[in-house]
Amino acid sequence: MADVKQEIVKFIEENFVMGRKNITLDPEKSLIESGIMDSTGVLELVMFLEERFNIKIEDEELVPENLDTINNLVAFLQKKGVAA
Amino acid sequence: MKFCSSCVLPDTFPGIEFDANGVCNYCKNSLLPDHEKKNEYLKKFEELAASVRGKNAFDVIMAYSGGKDSTYTMYSLSKDYGLNVLAFSFDNGFISEKALENISHMTDLCGATSMIVRPPFGKMKEIFKVAATQDLYNTKTLDRASSICTTCIGFVKSLVLKTALQMNIPLAAYGWSPGQAPITSSIMQTSPRLQRFSNSTVRDPILRNSPVKLSSYFLTEEEMNVPVERWPINVHPLAFMDYSEEAVLRKIQSLGWVKPSDTDPNSSNCTLNALANYLHRERFHFHPYAWEIAGIVRAGGLRREEGIEKTTEEEVMSMVKYAADRLNIKLP
Repeated sequence: MADVKQEIVKFIEENFVMGRKNITLDPEKSLIESGIMDSTGVLELVMFLEERFNIKIEDEELVPENLDTINNLVAFLQKKGVAA
Repeated sequence: MKFCSSCVLPDTFPGIEFDANGVCNYCKNSLLPDHEKKNEYLKKFEELAASVRGKNAFDVIMAYSGGKDSTYTMYSLSKDYGLNVLAFSFDNGFISEKALENISHMTDLCGATSMIVRPPFGKMKEIFKVAATQDLYNTKTLDRASSICTTCIGFVKSLVLKTALQMNIPLAAYGWSPGQAPITSSIMQTSPRLQRFSNSTVRDPILRNSPVKLSSYFLTEEEMNVPVERWPINVHPLAFMDYSEEAVLRKIQSLGWVKPSDTDPNSSNCTLNALANYLHRERFHFHPYAWEIAGIVRAGGLRREEGIEKTTEEEVMSMVKYAADRLNIKLP
């Protein structure tokens, strides 16, 4: 899943972190609590995952356990059958 | 101050970097919807409108501020798509008299039912004071809008959803400009779980920090447990329409909408906005509308020079002081 993780990190860096020098992406840290992503950002992230990986994210899957950290996102995509 | 050579973002905007041609990293990473993409969403929306038309007491609840974008959106929903609109307006205690007149006039013209909710001013005053003086929201949220605007919109979104759930209204519409929200979220099923994310970034900070009780304006646990099939679909049609600020103004003015003279250049309904902008600029050194206007400029809805003017013009201090006095806060 290394490539998938890299793609997610790239998306977050390019869309949420941008050039902020004072933000370090920790794969275990909550993206919302660390101020990297807001509620509009969650929508953008969901749309990115659905379009890029050709998956449908169901309502019951929209939980922090799946979406709120980079590692959770990777694990979630793995469960959805996204190949490395 | 240096600005992106392509949009309006200044060198003070968080995380901004410029290439050799002076183009910012936000411009480089933005994916503008092409004509095909817009048509795809338009078609999807037309099908959606046809599928809900006439099946409930109201087809759509429109978050209607009385401002230019929501006026244009409401008009289109009712006249172009034949939808029965419940126009929901939130009076935060600072709505311009002219905006209230616009609300009455335009809802009548569109055959829309107007619903205005006005919490007691004492409550709104307390939460706006908190929003003006404390850190409530995460940094990403404040890239997109001021703390005061984020607070107010938090109430609006929540009350729109609450009303839609209570009245079984299948669509909830917003007049977000193409710079405020991406086309990919322009037709989106709301859901309890998505709402919990939203709660954590806006509602929870409001309720945690408010000195007065505000929970009645937000969804109850019972409402959060309404089955997802009954939750409305959010739409913001300006994302897939051909948007030009000039054309929007021309159209609605021809219908009798009048721009209030007591609001700042970036608002066409709220007399609190000048203070919200002033405080944001004092604190962060960029205009709270910079993000949105940059998006509109990229999408071709506004000329860059006009956008820069809108995001650099100093606030009229009499407007700033008027709002600060009503909130009883001292200016920095």
